[in-house]
Amino acid sequence: MNFCAIVFLLVFAAPSWGKDIEAFPDLNLNDPKELKEASRVLEEELKLAARPQTYLLIDLSGSIIHIKGRGIGLHQIPIVTWSAGSRDGLKGVHRLAARPPVVRRKIEPGAGIEQEPISLADMPTDYVLSFSPSLRITVVPSVRGDSLLQSAVLLGKVGWRNVKDWTNWLWTDRSSDSSAYLRLTLSVDHAQSLAWSLVDGMALVIRRPTNK
Amino acid sequence: MGRLLLPILAVLLLVLLVVSAATSDRVAPGDFQPVQQPAVQEKVDLRTLQARYKVLSKQLFQLMPNQPYILVDTARNRLYVKHQEQVVLDAIASTGSGTILEKPGESDSKWIFDTPRGEFLVKSKLTNPTWIKPDWAFIEEGLAVPQNAADRAEQGVLGEYALGFGRGYFIHGTLYTRLLGKNVTHGCIRLNDNDLKGVYKLARVGTPIMIF
Repeated sequence: MNFCAIVFLLVFAAPSWGKDIEAFPDLNLNDPKELKEASRVLEEELKLAARPQTYLLIDLSGSIIHIKGRGIGLHQIPIVTWSAGSRDGLKGVHRLAARPPVVRRKIEPGAGIEQEPISLADMPTDYVLSFSPSLRITVVPSVRGDSLLQSAVLLGKVGWRNVKDWTNWLWTDRSSDSSAYLRLTLSVDHAQSLAWSLVDGMALVIRRPTNK
Repeated sequence: MGRLLLPILAVLLLVLLVVSAATSDRVAPGDFQPVQQPAVQEKVDLRTLQARYKVLSKQLFQLMPNQPYILVDTARNRLYVKHQEQVVLDAIASTGSGTILEKPGESDSKWIFDTPRGEFLVKSKLTNPTWIKPDWAFIEEGLAVPQNAADRAEQGVLGEYALGFGRGYFIHGTLYTRLLGKNVTHGCIRLNDNDLKGVYKLARVGTPIMIF
């Protein structure tokens, strides 16, 4: 009877032993560069996932931003397009140092009227996030699917952001690692969703593509 | 005679070692090794990289909770109970309003009504909880803060169950079910009676709560 039970367990449990648990299902297992990059990210992520906190993983290879905790994907935000400066500047763990301020509504004591709460719609759509060590992430909204007027307004905003970035670049001290920047284009909803999910000091790891 | 045999054997072994080392030196460099070595080496490197990636993936997987956990999306006001990838319970919730209330007599001090983000644990499970109204509840209503602790107790407003996750925050029921799905609370997480009962049954003291 015991022998039968062991055989039964072996037959049914064996396939799960061989089952591979992969952190990045899109990874080409025959590409050494991709494997090295994925392992580097996993090493960083293991340190973050060992602590009770939520963190960001920007997967530029898969064009997805993951909000994670204990290695679990809590929420995903798709990236429309992106561009980056120095590849080396994106390595390591970065901590969120500055983000756009949230305009909060004040409660009037005894007013007796329901106070209007903050919602996703109150979040900014184009903003800059500063991280430590030096990394600057600019989030701009995508104009896909918008009306002509909305697109023109958004393009104007994005253009203005470009001019500001360019003038900043001219005046900053380039002896520091000012080339560490990432520019993310997200849909309006997703840009607001990301702004909502950020927490001061939040950790960030970036998976860099090997072919770009 | 026996005493002589051991040294003779040792000398013979030494001679053999010297001869074999000298013979191996006679293999001309370039005979076959340089042609095959890089390909073999690359294969070995790739296997090492693959193995490393799989080990790291497994280590990350092992950090994930192997018991059911509670996931709260404060932007969309949803609460899920999940076990690995499977959703066990999906509920509409109400989370923090993000509004502020100034503390009377303290110019720079204020309450911010956010639901805290990050990872927490269920610390207590209560049935028929009594709400001990904090100072802000009276100030918000324009009332004087009572001196007598008994005047703070209010029955029946938190529903039949409450799950505490630290610093005075609870998952509890509500009388205002029409406000579920909106950010209206002072930081606690509200559910309807049925969902609250489900969460109470599924969660234990120590169940992780991920809030983003």
